[in-house]
Amino acid sequence: MSVARPAARRLLSGRLAAGPGGVAACAAPATATCHQLGFAHQFHSSPQLSARRKPRFANVRAADMGLMDEKQIDQFTKEQFPKYTPEEIDHLRTKYSPAQIAALEAGEAAIDPRDLTVQGRLRVDPYTMPYIDDFAETQPIIDKRAKNKEAPDPGARFMNLDEFTEDLIKWADKFQDGEVTGTLKTTADFVSDEFKKKPEGQWPGEVREAAHKAFQSYLEGEVSKQASKKDPDDTSGPTDADILQYILERSGMTDNNRTTNTSLAHALPNKVPGVAGMYKNAIDPEDEGLDDIGIYQDLKRRTGLSVKEILGLHSKQLVQRRVANQTRLGKVQKASIMYVVGNGNGWVGIGEAKSTEPSIAALKARLLAIRNMRPIRRYEKRTIYGSVTAKVSGTIVKMNARPPGFGLRVSHRIFEMCRAAGIQDLAANIPRSRNPMNTVKAAYWALCNQPDPEQMAIGRGKKMVDVRKVYYGGAIF
Amino acid sequence: MGIHSVANACAHLQNATRAHLGLTSIPNTKYNLRLALALHRAGLIGAVRRGGPRPPGPEEEPNESEAVTTANVATRRLWLGLKYWDNQPVVRNLEAVSKPSRLVSASVSDLSRVARGFSVGPLKGLTLGETMFVSTDRGVFEIREALARKAGGLVLCRVS
Repeated sequence: MSVARPAARRLLSGRLAAGPGGVAACAAPATATCHQLGFAHQFHSSPQLSARRKPRFANVRAADMGLMDEKQIDQFTKEQFPKYTPEEIDHLRTKYSPAQIAALEAGEAAIDPRDLTVQGRLRVDPYTMPYIDDFAETQPIIDKRAKNKEAPDPGARFMNLDEFTEDLIKWADKFQDGEVTGTLKTTADFVSDEFKKKPEGQWPGEVREAAHKAFQSYLEGEVSKQASKKDPDDTSGPTDADILQYILERSGMTDNNRTTNTSLAHALPNKVPGVAGMYKNAIDPEDEGLDDIGIYQDLKRRTGLSVKEILGLHSKQLVQRRVANQTRLGKVQKASIMYVVGNGNGWVGIGEAKSTEPSIAALKARLLAIRNMRPIRRYEKRTIYGSVTAKVSGTIVKMNARPPGFGLRVSHRIFEMCRAAGIQDLAANIPRSRNPMNTVKAAYWALCNQPDPEQMAIGRGKKMVDVRKVYYGGAIF
Repeated sequence: MGIHSVANACAHLQNATRAHLGLTSIPNTKYNLRLALALHRAGLIGAVRRGGPRPPGPEEEPNESEAVTTANVATRRLWLGLKYWDNQPVVRNLEAVSKPSRLVSASVSDLSRVARGFSVGPLKGLTLGETMFVSTDRGVFEIREALARKAGGLVLCRVS
């Protein structure tokens, strides 16, 4: 054991080191410390704090150092927090807007430099954060990226062929060498004035043909002029880098090559003019606004129930438990929930669902339970037929029919199932395992698999009469 | 007259109906015959016929079967036709109550309580679709037949 017991070791080493003569001399201080601190602390392996913290030097007060002197304070203030000189203010005016200057001046006036000296704590230690900042430059670690460009042009659309050609010519003109010829002419330059303002499609056929012919010859002339000027050693004109930049960075839209800080286009307007009124509302007006989110639409289609009927069903959460899927990334926890749903009049269903979100699991389970609803047999609409036993795993549920007014003497989950199904008189017991989920499943199976006296009578070839209905003339309720 | 053949017949009939057999046989004893006829009256089995080791043919008249002699009495069997309805056996559970190790008898008042669903001693009350067969001094009867005749006796089996 290397973890020493300091007190024991000290006693031991002291005794050994001092020998027979020094025992008394060493024992006295040892016992004294023991009395002061108590033994409990002595047996810890952590180093011992001294009994009383005492600074090695006495405090020197600020007044004794002459720091509280008014003169000293003023001098310190003047050195440390000088006022802006008029030149500095003039320089600031070149950097800041008048409103910012006004704010600066207001801030200067609000704080008395003397307060900074007397009350402020100016840190000079090496861990001081550089709080005082003039915001002259952005610090990428601290500051958000400046959005110094305009928002995208909301009216921009992709260029058509003519616009694209014009844009390409405009770009190419930047690299023209020697005399600037300006932009190339278009077909509109080769027709008389009366057609210049009309679009090309409205020109008469011969005018258009003549214009195209003239434009063609003009282009050929331009090309030959450029070719004759071209020097084989001439390296002017767009380089590969320029062409790459054109491909990558030139905007393909009619926004005049505006650059922005965002690559996101504008969202669609609220009402697109061309399709107004053509969107179909998914929500059925029959629902009377009961299902605006649309969670019951699928169920409505499957079951044929209306949303009002679905919402009127009696539902209850019977089982909730946490389940986990162990993956190599760890445990994925989910909620597993079981619901019972019934209409209180002979229809009942159970649903089980899992989700990482318990509320979603509950909703899924409830919807499943509604889908699983089926009719169960009820004797006199109040109890079951005879006695049923159902077994699921180690759980056995025994149910027995009971006379009117008996009530539901069953466990709480079966009670909720009976309420949902509309059973008022029942006895049930669960003699073996009472696993909640298996209890519910077994009870549901039992309710769905009751004996049918009519079928039994047919099987035995007997006539069956319910004597309760005979004796009381059918007035059994 | 021992009751072992009846207890065995009960176990065999339950096995046969659960195996969905159409026809099965039990030893031809007087006790078995009375029980089989009572079951037939109650509509739980479809047919009761005397026969040998092989089942009698369907067209064979019951009276034409081989005469019982001392030589062949040990091989005589009762051939019972089993009933099914809706793909389910009409007799699902057939449990012998009295066994050679313990005979259970019931008086008329006991039987009347049991028939109404109350338990009496070792006899559990009858539930929906359940019936019981009693051997009285006037023959083997279903429990309601015995009550109509005011006859108690040895409880043979319960069927549901």
